[in-house]
Amino acid sequence: MSQHDDRTRHTRRPGLTRRQLLQGMGAASTLPLLGGIAPFAIANGSAGRVVVIGGGFGGATAAKYLKRANPAIEVTLVEPAEVFYTCPFSNLFLGGLRDMRSIAHGYDELRDRYGVRVVHSLAEDVDPDGHRVHLANGETLAYDRLVLSPGIDFRWNGLEGYDEAAAELAPHAWKAGAQSELLRRQLEAMDDGGTFVMVAPENPYRCPPGPYERASLVAHYFSQHKPNSKVLILDAKDSFSKQGLFTAGWERLYGDRIEWVGLSDDGRVTRVDAENLEVETEFGTRHRADVLNVIPPQKAGFIAERAGVTDDSGWVPVKPATFESERVRDVYVVGDATVAAPMPKSGFCANNQAKVVAAAIAAELSGRSAPEPYWTNTCYSLIGPEYGISVAGVYRVQEGVIAEVEGAGGLSPADAPDHIRALEAEYAVGWYNAICQDTWGTSV
Amino acid sequence: MPHPLTRRPLSRRRLLAGAALMALSSLGFSSQALAEGPWQRLEAASERLGDATPATEGLVLELPHVSEDGAAVPLTVRFEGALADDDHLSEIHLFATGNPAPEIASFQLTPQGGLPEISTRVRLNESQEVIAIAKSHRGETFATAREVRITVSGCLMRGDDQGPEALANPRVSLPERFTAGEPGEVRTLINHPMETGLREGADGETLPRHILERFTVTLDGDTAFAADLHQAVSANPYLRFHLSPTEDAEVVFEWQDDSGESARHEASLSLG
Ligand SMILES: Cc1cc2nc3c(=O)[nH]c(=O)nc-3n(C[C@H](O)[C@H](O)[C@H](O)COP(=O)(O)OP(=O)(O)OC[C@H]3O[C@@H](n4cnc5c(N)ncnc54)[C@H](O)[C@@H]3O)c2cc1C
Repeated sequence: MSQHDDRTRHTRRPGLTRRQLLQGMGAASTLPLLGGIAPFAIANGSAGRVVVIGGGFGGATAAKYLKRANPAIEVTLVEPAEVFYTCPFSNLFLGGLRDMRSIAHGYDELRDRYGVRVVHSLAEDVDPDGHRVHLANGETLAYDRLVLSPGIDFRWNGLEGYDEAAAELAPHAWKAGAQSELLRRQLEAMDDGGTFVMVAPENPYRCPPGPYERASLVAHYFSQHKPNSKVLILDAKDSFSKQGLFTAGWERLYGDRIEWVGLSDDGRVTRVDAENLEVETEFGTRHRADVLNVIPPQKAGFIAERAGVTDDSGWVPVKPATFESERVRDVYVVGDATVAAPMPKSGFCANNQAKVVAAAIAAELSGRSAPEPYWTNTCYSLIGPEYGISVAGVYRVQEGVIAEVEGAGGLSPADAPDHIRALEAEYAVGWYNAICQDTWGTSV
Repeated sequence: MPHPLTRRPLSRRRLLAGAALMALSSLGFSSQALAEGPWQRLEAASERLGDATPATEGLVLELPHVSEDGAAVPLTVRFEGALADDDHLSEIHLFATGNPAPEIASFQLTPQGGLPEISTRVRLNESQEVIAIAKSHRGETFATAREVRITVSGCLMRGDDQGPEALANPRVSLPERFTAGEPGEVRTLINHPMETGLREGADGETLPRHILERFTVTLDGDTAFAADLHQAVSANPYLRFHLSPTEDAEVVFEWQDDSGESARHEASLSLG
């Protein structure tokens, strides 16, 4: 049985503590009895098998916190990439304020310090009845509990003319990595006097304030290097996250460099011509771009659909107290893929949700009931390198649904002096360092 | 990063499990339950129905299960049922059971409309049920309802919005060419604050009600589509509907608000 071999190999990895080693060996020695799919009543040291799909904010956190809750749980993390580039702070890269290395993270700590088995492959299918996951590398993993944190996939052609090929000409850069680098190269190559056009999506989508932070930091780059260039945001919404704060910040730092056209002023783009860098709105206005950034409509990562946990919206409804799927037993889903509103689709929320899931699974596997959860979130956005704003929220389950706790959290003040904005920009960096430390524990 | 999507057929077992789930989730909306549906409990709706027991299949409401912005929830209502050859759908009424005033909008349809499918954007005060009722020219009735959960996400808090100028920028999008007898999609948008009369301004005084009340579309002078709008239609009313002209025609779009002001847009429709 290949699983048996893999697990045995896993227990021999260097860097494990003696205790982990013993527990790992215990698990391996029970394997032949398990038959892979037996519901887990597992004796002799293994506290159950959990497979986590996705090594981003939600998945990496879930893997680590499961091990922290109970090192005897066998945790396998499936993630194709060996280096994870965070979307948070990728806008700083686009604005020329950071390099890609500074937003890159790896899996060494999860593997070496926490004893998570990390498999760099893509999960292709889930068999929820058989409690198995099929990987692209041919391996099959059996689980007692499955955690999905696959993030988002794009609805290619959900916006006419915008498909994977178009994204090579008009990047989305809404998953960080090669797309971010492509967009940055285009911005650098653009002649002064050009227009950066951003197509912003309707709700719900990953990171509600993200498009407006990006517009800000591109405007910052222009103000330093291409002073005659403009930013035009064509939006499928009439209002957006922290709108008052963004608008005031834009005026303060960039004058009229940034123009925002909302839904009711014919801002909704309905067709993209990536070849000619041209977009057309619902009422027929055409806009030509020098650099075109299309943030397309989104849905849960495809593996969620394969697991049968999505609804007809393309997102995943979950039980609020545990984030277990409403539809499929023993499958837990966290992060952007879920319907967790009023919690936004943020990395911070994914990290928090993952901790709640880890606690719930660890409790369940040892026959206890899950602790009562609460979640917090802060979204920092940088309007300039020294101009930060934020919105914070605290969430609990109230009357069976996730609700924002009234009076907790809040928004940066509207009329704060510059030094407060500068402090918030510093806090944003502190937040980034802390959450990445908590999630991956490493930079590459 | 592109994901290789090697399709694996769903097992029969999984399909069955899926079907069972769907059946479960629609339990609350069996035909029986709907015949005594929420429209019976809402006076504004039951008045429209009179003694009729509406059919609960045929009329379809599309709304998000969860909306993060109650100020503009996209809504589509569509008729997929069958009617006698000489009959057509003539009215659709929309209601928000949890709003201070339940009426959202009423639409008058004609055979010139061709396809009974209308989209707009609506205001929903809180999580609630939205109801649609329809009648045909010869008196058949239909009803349906949809639950919507409204959550205003902290990350989505609104900026101060200054109301748009009333009746500015009427916009119309028509198909480049109509084909005789085939419905063509028409979209309209106009700036209007749709002030509800329930909201306080910055000075604490209630802002007077100021809404767009009626929208009409005529083909060579005959009404082809009309809508009565209420406070629950979002600011800057958007309407998507269909026209199915049988010959070249002059089309006039007219928006009227409750202050007596109006806006017009004219165009020539040509079949080709
Ligand atoms: C420009 C931008 C700025 C942002 N800024 C912030 C911010 O400042 N603060 C904040 O909190 N959030 C921010 N976000 C949002 C944040 O990036 C997401 O909310 C967060 O990444 C969600 O975590 P996740 O675990 O759901 O998904 P991800 O972090 O995207 O992780 C998903 C992982 O799953 C893997 N995966 C997918 N499918 C499979 C499969 N089938 N098999 C194996 N692996 C798979 C992917 O490779 C990926 O690594 C920003 C987003 C953007 C786009």
